Amino acid sequence: MISVEHVYKSFKSLEVLHDVSLTIQDGEVVAIIGPSGSGKSTLLRCINLLEKPTSGHIFVDGVDVVAPKVNIQQIRQKVGMVFQHFNLFPHMTVLQNMTYAPIKVLRMDPKQAQEKCLALLDRVGLADKATNYPATLSGGQKQRVAIARTLAMDPKVILFDEPTSALDPEMVKEVLSVIKDLAGTGITMALVTHEMGFAREVANRICFLDEGRLIEDAPPKIFFSTPKSDRAREFLDKVL
Amino acid sequence: MQLDFGMMTKYMPYFFRSLGVTLQLTAASLLLGIVISIPLSLIKLSRYRAVRAIGTFYTSIFRGVPLLVQVFIVYFGLPQLIGPSFTFSAFQAGCITFAFNSAAYISESLRGGIMAVDVGQREAAMALAVPYGKMMKDIIFPQAIKSVMPSLVNEFIGLLKNTTLISTVGLVDVLRASQMVVSDTYRAFEPYITAAAFYYVLVMAISFLGKQLERWVNKSDQR
Repeated sequence: MISVEHVYKSFKSLEVLHDVSLTIQDGEVVAIIGPSGSGKSTLLRCINLLEKPTSGHIFVDGVDVVAPKVNIQQIRQKVGMVFQHFNLFPHMTVLQNMTYAPIKVLRMDPKQAQEKCLALLDRVGLADKATNYPATLSGGQKQRVAIARTLAMDPKVILFDEPTSALDPEMVKEVLSVIKDLAGTGITMALVTHEMGFAREVANRICFLDEGRLIEDAPPKIFFSTPKSDRAREFLDKVL
Repeated sequence: MQLDFGMMTKYMPYFFRSLGVTLQLTAASLLLGIVISIPLSLIKLSRYRAVRAIGTFYTSIFRGVPLLVQVFIVYFGLPQLIGPSFTFSAFQAGCITFAFNSAAYISESLRGGIMAVDVGQREAAMALAVPYGKMMKDIIFPQAIKSVMPSLVNEFIGLLKNTTLISTVGLVDVLRASQMVVSDTYRAFEPYITAAAFYYVLVMAISFLGKQLERWVNKSDQR
């Protein structure tokens, strides 16, 4: 379970998050949407401490990630992240990308790790690309590898930071279908996205951010049909 | 004016022995310099200003003091500081001076190389719970080395040429060997040209090998 409590984040004089509080239950899929610059990605990056909140608390499984002496590696083992630009390691093959952290961080047996990762690669439909270098893959394939790489760590939570925003339109679908499959497995997911149709279909809840404030937090049906705030209505008018 | 390169043939074994000394000194200094430059580059990238200042100060010293003065300080000066019974061999003094000096320059390009690695690489490693040391060693350095390679080859070449300074404290490197031939034969042009040819061929060989190495290092970028 993730619990974000009164989080503020500023970069120098620019306030990016303003008193954001939300809870994500185990197994929930939460889509975070909003205009660009509204702080969606920053909120996500605060959860695994790629950004440190200026104030407030974030609890992951009861552990406050903002506490000064927190074991951040332990939290990051539980919380995987998928990036907009994939961030695969270009000097490693697909399989090496995936097995690296399980072997070096979780100290998994290399043979076991390889078998596990090959199975995961099969699950995202790329079993034949194990020995390829990332440079030889399409954007959609890279993102599917990145998702598989995250899964190899057996995270309890996966944070998706605009996973389809850097993709050519014809590749969006293959990535979304992988994410959709994951949503049914009981893994907890927080997803920053501009794909409204996808958010409506997959998410249990929609969190709408605007200018660093969490304005709405509602089930997709309610959010998309009867948004409470003017800001959300304006936004939906523009994007739908 | 008569040139006689024929008389140089009998000194060739002597030259080749001195070539070994030059090569050993260059290689040892470069390796040690690389080893020192790694922590030094990390110091220069520290998030703490005071720590970064140490790295900047280190580099400014080795940049700001002539290399020959550095050699003299280490060879003549340090033993006096440490104690009268302590002495360096000329080779050791050269190796230490050139290594610390190279480290100042290599750490600069290494710092640039590390900064040139996409920040997403670091974030991906962090998100996978990879600790700092392993992240640097397995993910950042292997990518940084690509952009560092050309300047590393240049440093190698510069270092090779700079090792001639060690002849001033008596180590028989290629330059010193040619000087001894000069005093033996009372001829200057042929011995010095021979030394020049040795250095030139070496430098050409290093730049050729460097190009091959660059190509090899970049292989994962190719399809």
